[in-house]
Amino acid sequence: MNHNLNRRSFLSFAAASAAVVSLAACGGNGAAGSNAAQAAYAAPAKDLSAELNYAIWDAAQKPAMQKIVAEFNKQYPNIKVTIDVTPSKGSAYWTKIQTQASSNTLPDVFWMNGPHIKLYAQNNQLMPLDGLASGKAVDKASYPKALVDLYTVNGTFYGVPKDFDTSALFYNKALFKDAGVAEPTSSWTWDDVKSAGAKLSKFYQGKGIYGYAGDLTGGQTSYYNTMLEAGGTIISADGKKSGYDSPGSIAGLQFWRDLIESGVSPSMQQLTDTSSSDMFTSKKLAMTMDGSWTVGPAHTALGADLGIVSLPKGPNSNQSVIHGLANVIPANAKNPAAAQAFVAFLGSQDAARIQAETGTVIPAFNGTQDAWVKSVPSVDLGVFLDLAKDASPYPVSANTAAWNELENSLLPQAFAGTKPVADVAKDLASQMNSALAKES
Amino acid sequence: MKAPVLTAGTETSRDHATKAPLPSAARRKGKSKSDGFWPWLFVVPTVVGIGVFYLWPMVQTFYYSFTKWGVFGGAKFIGLDNYTRMLADSSIPQSILNTLIYTAIVLLGIPAAVILASLIERPGMRFASLYRTLYFIPYVTMPAAVGIVWRLIYNGDFGPINWFLSLFGIHGPYWTSTPGFALLAVATVGLWMSLGFNLLIISAGLREIPRELFEAAEMDGASRIRQFFSITVPLLTPSIFFVTIVTVISGFQLFDLLYVMMGKANLAMPQTQSLVYIFYNQAFLQNDKGYAAAIGILILAIIALLTAFQFRIQKRWVNYV
Amino acid sequence: MSESTLAATARAESVPVGELAPNPSSARAHMPDAKSRSGKQGSNTVAHIVLGIGGLVMVSPLLYQIVMSLSTNTEVQSTPPTLWPSVIQWHNFADVFGSMNFGSQLWVTVAITVLRVIGQVLLCSMAGYAFARMRFRFKGPLLALVLSIIMVPSQLFLIPQYQIIQNLGWLNSIAGIVAPGIFSAFGLFLMRQFFMGLPDELEDAARLDGANPFQVFFRVMLPLAANGLWALVVITVLWSWNDLLWPLVVTSTANAAPLSVGLSNLQGEHSNNYPILMAASLMAMAPILIMFLLMQKRVMAGIGRSGLK
Repeated sequence: MNHNLNRRSFLSFAAASAAVVSLAACGGNGAAGSNAAQAAYAAPAKDLSAELNYAIWDAAQKPAMQKIVAEFNKQYPNIKVTIDVTPSKGSAYWTKIQTQASSNTLPDVFWMNGPHIKLYAQNNQLMPLDGLASGKAVDKASYPKALVDLYTVNGTFYGVPKDFDTSALFYNKALFKDAGVAEPTSSWTWDDVKSAGAKLSKFYQGKGIYGYAGDLTGGQTSYYNTMLEAGGTIISADGKKSGYDSPGSIAGLQFWRDLIESGVSPSMQQLTDTSSSDMFTSKKLAMTMDGSWTVGPAHTALGADLGIVSLPKGPNSNQSVIHGLANVIPANAKNPAAAQAFVAFLGSQDAARIQAETGTVIPAFNGTQDAWVKSVPSVDLGVFLDLAKDASPYPVSANTAAWNELENSLLPQAFAGTKPVADVAKDLASQMNSALAKES
Repeated sequence: MKAPVLTAGTETSRDHATKAPLPSAARRKGKSKSDGFWPWLFVVPTVVGIGVFYLWPMVQTFYYSFTKWGVFGGAKFIGLDNYTRMLADSSIPQSILNTLIYTAIVLLGIPAAVILASLIERPGMRFASLYRTLYFIPYVTMPAAVGIVWRLIYNGDFGPINWFLSLFGIHGPYWTSTPGFALLAVATVGLWMSLGFNLLIISAGLREIPRELFEAAEMDGASRIRQFFSITVPLLTPSIFFVTIVTVISGFQLFDLLYVMMGKANLAMPQTQSLVYIFYNQAFLQNDKGYAAAIGILILAIIALLTAFQFRIQKRWVNYV
Repeated sequence: MSESTLAATARAESVPVGELAPNPSSARAHMPDAKSRSGKQGSNTVAHIVLGIGGLVMVSPLLYQIVMSLSTNTEVQSTPPTLWPSVIQWHNFADVFGSMNFGSQLWVTVAITVLRVIGQVLLCSMAGYAFARMRFRFKGPLLALVLSIIMVPSQLFLIPQYQIIQNLGWLNSIAGIVAPGIFSAFGLFLMRQFFMGLPDELEDAARLDGANPFQVFFRVMLPLAANGLWALVVITVLWSWNDLLWPLVVTSTANAAPLSVGLSNLQGEHSNNYPILMAASLMAMAPILIMFLLMQKRVMAGIGRSGLK
């Protein structure tokens, strides 16, 4: 659930944000360089008294966050933390955060995602957290490098990584068994998925059950992955040029059009009406590509029938995109000492363990992910961690929102077959390039 | 308590109309053009409130439409750039067309309301109050709640509409995600929500038509259909004019239903979205508030033009007797 | 839209006043030949069929919602659609209390609605009265400015209004939700139209007795505008109860938010748990529906007459 909402928030209004790959270069000197100037953080006195608002967007994670606050209060009994949930559905969370930022009333601590970090950091809305690192309250080496890089803008560290997510292939064992089709393995290729999907769709014809689908109303758990797997890119490493017109990208988009055209996947219209995740949990879909955050709901719905394997290999690879959230503090924090103490605790191993045990998300703190893997013993959740190793960073630029809007308005026509995939991809690439050219 | 108030209002207002010239009017004309400071005591709280919370924001919006407005504040003057960009943006004329089609469909509710009201208000009609209630209920429901219900009703796979069509061997479309059908689906909900309001206004207008007119017509042997077209409709034109204005204004403010009923990356969105939806999208999703402000000014200009146009042509068809 | 149709028609046809009573039953009672009409009732059968089918279609989404709120999620998504659940799931309604702060949000909704209604009734009727029946400088231009506001989509005001409320220090409070909404250009216009249609005699009599304009307004004119006030109350209650975007932005904790926000949050959390969503939205609409059914004659008279001017 969490990242589903989270991901929609990218697609709906992703703002300018760090091009992760390009940041890999400057991420390394983040701690040492210009930021040594910031005073090292020293933990405040244990009797510090303060009230903090903590804004999050996923109600499913509220219990875990409350447990973390309770643990935090064992150290700082006088810091009262109020958790405020605003769903990102319909963009409520970011509409609110943006309005609050315009009026300097941001919550004391709040969740940040990749597409928004650069927008908020570059507009001086966030407090640099290099002091937390130099004061040893947070060790950047404890988190996956890609996430630390994502939240380091122009060499300054702004967000302490909270969790991460990747995509894998989910399937319904019962539907495979009834149709007499062999279950997927982690060594499957695109062709294997296509032929098994065709058999399944044919077997269940007239029952409204389909072989394979992904959520095409956004790229993270569908076409972003296949574009990479076919050797394409979504955006160039420097975030200045669209990758949509490359042959690999077109092949990655064509994959989904082929599935729809051959009846393996429900139509674009149908997937807008009922999301692929909902179809999978209501047993109308035998296989789906979906994110690690849907393991919980999928397991609740299917129980022992749920199977998960690695992504099928495309012409080039079986890459997934990776993304993760971070906790941030506004630049004009009312109580910086208390907010930093809380963010430091949110980034701690103890907080990560609490997140892992509740099983909702993969915690970012290295070494605590095993507890998450064990949260659903009947499936091998380790595939998500394996996929994270070679994963590609979630594609962003300085003004991600502009071209995400182009994706949303142009690509459905390609998937629905109203226009040829290659034409739409080239059109999208040229429109995206002119949008990127406007970024400064 | 209710009846006396109604009667008093009715009776006196009629007196007002018949007894002219009125003494008070004479008195006012004779005196100065102002009632001194008293009016200001009455209007200042409201005028200040509206000025602060509504007019000032409008002035700001107008100013920002000439700027590149930073996401978190700070505006840079860029002249007419936002407006020239708007001219080149093909989604703008498309969304105006969408809005016109939406409004046209919702306007169909007005003739429907006239016919239904004339049936309900027939003398001796039983259950009139029950019917009025049934038709008015959609108007009092919550749009956010009703949006979910309609999404289910329109669902292509398990929605009752397509199930009903399948009984006749018709394979229904995915209503909210197929271009063309989506606008029809949204407008149907708009019509459904506004019908009860239109019906009440027109019923009230109908009840003010003197029954003698109908009786005289009946004695002359005019059929009910003839009476409907030569008495009911002409005498209802003021009420019809009022609901037309309200429908057109709210049509151009269409947002909530789209927000609740249509998903992201909807194939049908370009053929369905309204100007206000584009405004919201630019201001809050794409953070381009300067451009959004220019779209806001365009919306305002269109509504003002249409309303002025309607008032202008009302003389040709609205019959105040 | 200058004169009351009512008055105009009455003048034209010089009908006895009693027959103009807006209540259809009283109109019928006063009709000299009501009997000859009711003798024709046989011809109303077609009307009843049309109205009955139409009425059923109108309320069917609500009936559908009630059935769904008592079903399981599987039943909601089954084909053919479930006409009645096999086992009635009353617990869906109980579950709502566990999923949202229904009690406190209902309280906020009631509070903001009452405050907005009081504010609008008082302020709009006073200003409407002055615009309708008093003379002062800049009256015309001021009215034109106020009227232009009616046409502006409310989304345009969002950010500037937020900044004002923030400067006042009213964020996340009932005062903050209520403040912009106690002023209404539409309400002012509505009340002006009502006051324009009222007679001068009583007002003049009160003046001659030495009453000041406040006394004239509160003792004489306001009671005469009862129907207009009812229209304003109904429209304000409906708008305030359903208002979503503004309270969503201006509140930051679930306890300070009204039901509309709670409901939209619930949609975000349980996007495909239809029975809970249906039950919650029924519960959120119920108070307003019940109030409407109890006071429907007032509501109908008020709304109906709002369009006469």
